[in-house]
Amino acid sequence: MLGLPFLACLLMTAMLGHLGIHVLKREIIFIDITLAQTAAVGAATAHSLFAAGGDSVVGYACALGATLIAAAFFAYVRSAVVQIPLEAIIGVAYAITAGATLFVLGVASGGHIHVQEILAGSILWTRWADILACLLAFSIVGVCCYVFRRRFSRISEDYDGAREAGVKVIGWDFFFYALFGIVITLSVRIAGVAVVFAFLIIPATISALFSRHDLARSAIAWGSGVTASMMGLLFSYRYDFSAGPAVALFLGLLLILAALCRICIGRLITHLSIGRVTLRS
Amino acid sequence: MPETLRFFSVQLALIAVVLVLHTYLGLHIIRRTLVFSDLVLDQLAAFGALVAIGLGVKYGTIQAYLASLVAVIFGSALLALIKPKNRLIPREAVIGILYALALVASLLVGDKLSAGEAYVTKTLVGCMLWATWPLVGVTTLVYIALLVFHYSYCEKFISLTQKTPDVRHERLWDFLFFTTQGIVTVLIVPVAGVLLAYSFLMIPAAIAAMFTKGWANAVALGWSLGFVACSMGLSASYYFDLPYGPSLVLALGLFFVSAVLLRAMLSQRVRADTRGVTQG
Repeated sequence: MLGLPFLACLLMTAMLGHLGIHVLKREIIFIDITLAQTAAVGAATAHSLFAAGGDSVVGYACALGATLIAAAFFAYVRSAVVQIPLEAIIGVAYAITAGATLFVLGVASGGHIHVQEILAGSILWTRWADILACLLAFSIVGVCCYVFRRRFSRISEDYDGAREAGVKVIGWDFFFYALFGIVITLSVRIAGVAVVFAFLIIPATISALFSRHDLARSAIAWGSGVTASMMGLLFSYRYDFSAGPAVALFLGLLLILAALCRICIGRLITHLSIGRVTLRS
Repeated sequence: MPETLRFFSVQLALIAVVLVLHTYLGLHIIRRTLVFSDLVLDQLAAFGALVAIGLGVKYGTIQAYLASLVAVIFGSALLALIKPKNRLIPREAVIGILYALALVASLLVGDKLSAGEAYVTKTLVGCMLWATWPLVGVTTLVYIALLVFHYSYCEKFISLTQKTPDVRHERLWDFLFFTTQGIVTVLIVPVAGVLLAYSFLMIPAAIAAMFTKGWANAVALGWSLGFVACSMGLSASYYFDLPYGPSLVLALGLFFVSAVLLRAMLSQRVRADTRGVTQG
């Protein structure tokens, strides 16, 4: 019963855990939720214009199309508008896309059921077809992330420096956001906007508490994602809550636990080093 | 006809009052890059209302407002207190996580309410269509009180935003700032819904911040453009029978996208002129 949802969580943890590290470095926390919401506008438009379900090819194509338009917009705006931070533009774009989704669904029938579905997802009803589609797409994105890892890292860590060094930042940014958009489009169809956002940000933040190295951070992010998925799914099954939000809740609890651990470790280290200095003197 | 007149006058009066304080607070939020903070408070207000409904309170009553206020003050304290020292974790990440948790908590509470989905949607889209003169009166009074408070201590809040080194008791002023934002949120979310409330705060301020650096000019510009956009959205919603909140958000959004493109064109022209002068 929980096997397929757990597999879906594993796939999302693997991909989103890694992308989350880039998102934190670029300080564009909103990007995921905005692209997710953009994909939702595409899917909702497909639903109301062509009566296409979210699982249909038309549904996916509209969602992906909307995401790519947003990717191009952000890549262009990042270099063209410097008066306000990119994060503010992304934040406003979120409000607009969320408003657009409600607008389209408000015109369609049964709107609020779809709103709930877009936010909370229906991870419990994951099918093998969803898993295979995710596996295929995430593998391609994963390979691209590996092949172009140096270029992506360079732009994530120092955008202005990369531009001055002659890197075509708009093109690379578009490529990054487009890959990101593909992952988000597929993930949101399964898990919903809120849960995908939690998968992206929380494991990456937990990893930042304990390490600076990308590989170690990815490993910590994956470990915490897997643990929270198991606990959240069991909790939702036992107490009859929606599976996705329950997993997100456990990710949050794990983060609180990790932050407390980090504070204790920090204090212990300070305590030990003070003791050592006292002993020496 | 008098019915149409009454509808438009109540709506436009409420929007005019709301936009003044929202644009000013929005400017602080954009200039401090705390974009998510309002969404956190909006979502916590919705969460408080959902918990109250779960306890048998009716949506939109004083008790529901109080539940929202408690949730929002708790959120303000968290926003003011949690400032990670780790450079790898930007403050916006903490804010994002608080938002995600408030949203999933609302969804989980919605799970246990009968017709929970409808309530979750209601907190998102609001019911501003049913705004009345008493509501406009209460909102105006509270907003005036908050404006007086902000005007009296504007130097403190502005130095917090401009990161001048002489700010003392930073966390206390942060808390007061977020609490003001929270009170505004509690008043406006049940009426306008999470998304429209967030748009009122962010969009006029974002447009203004792209074109002017001064505070008074930015508030005036943001308010004027916001008011025109909202009036257009309101008219479209009324005459073409379109969903109310989303129509206003989209009208504001249309202005925002036009402003971004205009800003990009102007910047490009300035860069080209500078290049011409340098080469000349």
